[in-house]
Amino acid sequence: MSDAALDRQEPAARRRTARRRVPYPYTFYIPAGVIYAVMFLVPTIASFYFALTRWTLFDSHFIGFGNFVQFFREPFLVQGLVNTLIFGISTSALKVVLGLALAVLLTSRIPARGYLRAVIFFPVLVSFIGVGIIFVSLMHPTRGAINVTLETIGIDGPGWLTTPWLALYSVIIVDVWKGVGIATVIFIAGIASIPSDYYEAARIDGATKAQQFWRITLPLSRPATVTVITLSLIGGLRTFDLIWTMTGGGPGFSSDVVASIIYKQYQSGFYGLSTAGNVVLFLLIALVMVPLTTWMNRREIDI
Amino acid sequence: MSQTHTTFRAAEARRRWIGGAVAILVTGVVFVLPFLFALLQASKTQADASTLSFSWPTEWQLWSNLVAVIQVRDYQLLLAFFNSTVITVASVTGLVVFASMVGYILQRRQSRWNGLINFLVLAGLMIPPAVVPTIWLLQQLELFKTLHGMVLIEIAYNLSFSILLYRAFVATIPRELDEAARMDGAKPWQTFFRVIFPLLKPVTVTNIVVQSIAIFNDFVNPLYYLPGKDNVTVQLTLYNFQSQFETQYNLLFSNVLLVTIPPLIVFVFFNRQIVAGMTAGAVKG
Amino acid sequence: MADVTIRNLSKHYGAVEVMSDIDLDIRSGEFVVFVGPSGCGKSTLLRMISGLEEESGGSIEIDGRDVTGVEPSERGVAMVFQSYALYPHLTVAENIGFSLSLARVPKDEMRRKIEEAANILQLGPLLERKPKHLSGGQRQRVAIGRAIVRDPKVFLFDEPLSNLDAALRTQMRLELGELHQRLNTTMIYVTHDQVEAMTMADRIVVLNGGRIEQVGTPTELYRAPRSPFVAGFIGSPKMNLFEGPVAEAEGAEVLGLRPEHIVVDATGPWSGDVRLIEHLGAEAIAHVDTPEAGRVIIRLDGEAEVRTGDHVRLTPRPDRMHRFRAGQRLA
Ligand SMILES: Nc1ncnc2c1ncn2[C@@H]1O[C@H](COP(=O)(O)OP(=O)(O)OP(=O)(O)O)[C@@H](O)[C@H]1O
Ligand SMILES: [Mg+2]
Repeated sequence: MSDAALDRQEPAARRRTARRRVPYPYTFYIPAGVIYAVMFLVPTIASFYFALTRWTLFDSHFIGFGNFVQFFREPFLVQGLVNTLIFGISTSALKVVLGLALAVLLTSRIPARGYLRAVIFFPVLVSFIGVGIIFVSLMHPTRGAINVTLETIGIDGPGWLTTPWLALYSVIIVDVWKGVGIATVIFIAGIASIPSDYYEAARIDGATKAQQFWRITLPLSRPATVTVITLSLIGGLRTFDLIWTMTGGGPGFSSDVVASIIYKQYQSGFYGLSTAGNVVLFLLIALVMVPLTTWMNRREIDI
Repeated sequence: MSQTHTTFRAAEARRRWIGGAVAILVTGVVFVLPFLFALLQASKTQADASTLSFSWPTEWQLWSNLVAVIQVRDYQLLLAFFNSTVITVASVTGLVVFASMVGYILQRRQSRWNGLINFLVLAGLMIPPAVVPTIWLLQQLELFKTLHGMVLIEIAYNLSFSILLYRAFVATIPRELDEAARMDGAKPWQTFFRVIFPLLKPVTVTNIVVQSIAIFNDFVNPLYYLPGKDNVTVQLTLYNFQSQFETQYNLLFSNVLLVTIPPLIVFVFFNRQIVAGMTAGAVKG
Repeated sequence: MADVTIRNLSKHYGAVEVMSDIDLDIRSGEFVVFVGPSGCGKSTLLRMISGLEEESGGSIEIDGRDVTGVEPSERGVAMVFQSYALYPHLTVAENIGFSLSLARVPKDEMRRKIEEAANILQLGPLLERKPKHLSGGQRQRVAIGRAIVRDPKVFLFDEPLSNLDAALRTQMRLELGELHQRLNTTMIYVTHDQVEAMTMADRIVVLNGGRIEQVGTPTELYRAPRSPFVAGFIGSPKMNLFEGPVAEAEGAEVLGLRPEHIVVDATGPWSGDVRLIEHLGAEAIAHVDTPEAGRVIIRLDGEAEVRTGDHVRLTPRPDRMHRFRAGQRLA
């Protein structure tokens, strides 16, 4: 087509010349935009209405803030809110610290790096349900391998998942175990993109390994840190799978998080209340993430 | 002088080897033992497995356990594998194509809409999906309990992450390539699919790995949007078996092994390339 | 072969005007070079001709056809980019043939055209390679080949040689000159390298701050710069530009004298100390501080017996003075 316009032999063939096209058309947004709008945006917006209703999916009945009042009046629901924060913050912090440490280790010149990298990443491949099943067995209060091992060295292991105050933390440990591989990979990518000149210059200046870490690796892998914190915190605050398979929110309601409460309310047919839980979770995440991301992106280090 | 130098070198090498050995030992205990446990459990007889002890099987019967798991409930696991594979392949294909298109335009065309679109992308990453209203909507659209409904949900929920990866990577491709293609007579979609998209390969690989593992292993969304027997996914069957096999740990763990195989295959194939795509993508944020 | 006629062309980004009142006639088959300081709008002008950048006002005609607002690929122009912009995932042959495959040219014809271009550019043995396995000069040739197969009426080049080393640049300059002779197509070429401009151009367009300062053959620009800007821009070392009494004595605001037009002789009206000498072999450049005219740069024979610290007398050649007033050349 465009060739015809270039062809000198037949100027008559130069029929219609295309007017300037927009090189980057918005039409490229359409498929993603439609799916996102219909499957995500509409329900999200609708949730703000349905959260204010008593709802059976077939008809809804406006009751104002009743669901929210009920939500905050039930002590176990408030407990769930606190648990969610504990879960999100502690898994995220642990993943940053351990992920960075492992990444530094795996980018240094130690033997069997490939093997170590694969091993640490392996739990990422297993589903939450699978991981839950494995650790529920390992953490069995009497027959589980962990407590049996502790017993051989004379320690009376606790009921990891059956002690109310401990259950949440046991799940937190398992969640970090499963997710630290992703954090490590992101940190490895971050460290790999630090130009080696910095280290050479530092070595010429006589910096020790520790100084190199604090002065170069840590500040320059800041973008990776921001990514890991953001992703793991969002994931942690929304967590459901692992809690659900390992404790089901129990014992009692001691390890319930907002997402598991939402599911329980849904199961019991309290759709309005469940949706109110969704809105609460949304507000919680916004309250944590918006100030945090603004703060983290404030002083960006550009290489 | 050179004497002390070599001893210093040797000392450092020794330190590195000791460090490596410690690392192998610790990661071995922390990361490998749990899987070894799963493998042993899956190889035991029912009575043997029910003790939950970390011991050698008295009798190896991994194969017959695997076969037994597959046969449960009329070969339900095979159906689940089929469904999960369909959902994963379709969703990841959609994600790769649609997210790369958005990432490309979003990076290339600076306009006053960018603020809004970036906001929507971040919102998609952070906001927990409103489950019950989504069910209500899916029912209206007659997509509830269907595989295509599930595919659309997975695409919608995972779009943001893919867009962020693609947008960062597109920034590394010189704009002059688009312009050269435009001068050569390419229409915008030809420029994208014939020139830009092939160059996005590293980040496409990262997307495929991360998203296919996430979607294949997804439990929450099928739990809500695919209830019932007809459209079970592997994670749902695993979850259901967990209550059904209360006493048959050998079969339960065989099931865990089986459903871990596909992600493992993906990982083995793409292991090396994951970091490459991340370098340009997630890290530069 | 095609004329390019530009009338009253302007460009602004938002409220910022970067080009205005551009009028230019480029004749068929001409090799025209745009020069000017960084940021003066050379690329912008070239990109408006190509269609990659939208015209804010005015019109562009190519071969008698008004192409204002027409899609780049339909203007009959081809462009060679500074970074070559080769498609990294395609072979040399596919790179060259990309426009043809988009236009659904039949396979045979496509192969014929690719081979023809490859012959002109001596790319024959490289056709199956990927760009990353090519040297800088070879990449450059592939970029040109990609332009040639489109059989354009006008070739556009945006600093195509600036990524090459000095030796290769000289060689490619000659090759481009030969290519122009052979194809005899209109070529528009952006550079900020004076040597390229002077040696390759039929005519040079000097741009400054988004406006055309002067258009002319290299000799015209050298002999009769129309403004102090052009006078200072063309030629190396730079023309001496004097203000104050020296210029007023000649009835001008600014008096220009090229370094080679100031000679050392015992009776000269100016005298001063040589502060610095740069020896370039065949010639030497001396910087002299004079009370009469301030710092004066002169060009000497390479063998000249002048040293740093010497006291010399200088005579400006009256027949080679350039007189300017209000930014304009005086007759
Ligand atoms: N997208 C844009 N938005 C705003 N101003 C721009 C934009 N593109 C170019 N400009 C401005 O237009 C002017 C001309 O730019 P142009 O790139 O044409 O200069 P140039 O002569 O090619 O310089 P160089 O020799 O450095 O390549 C510059 O002052 C530049 O800052
Ligand atoms: Mg330029």
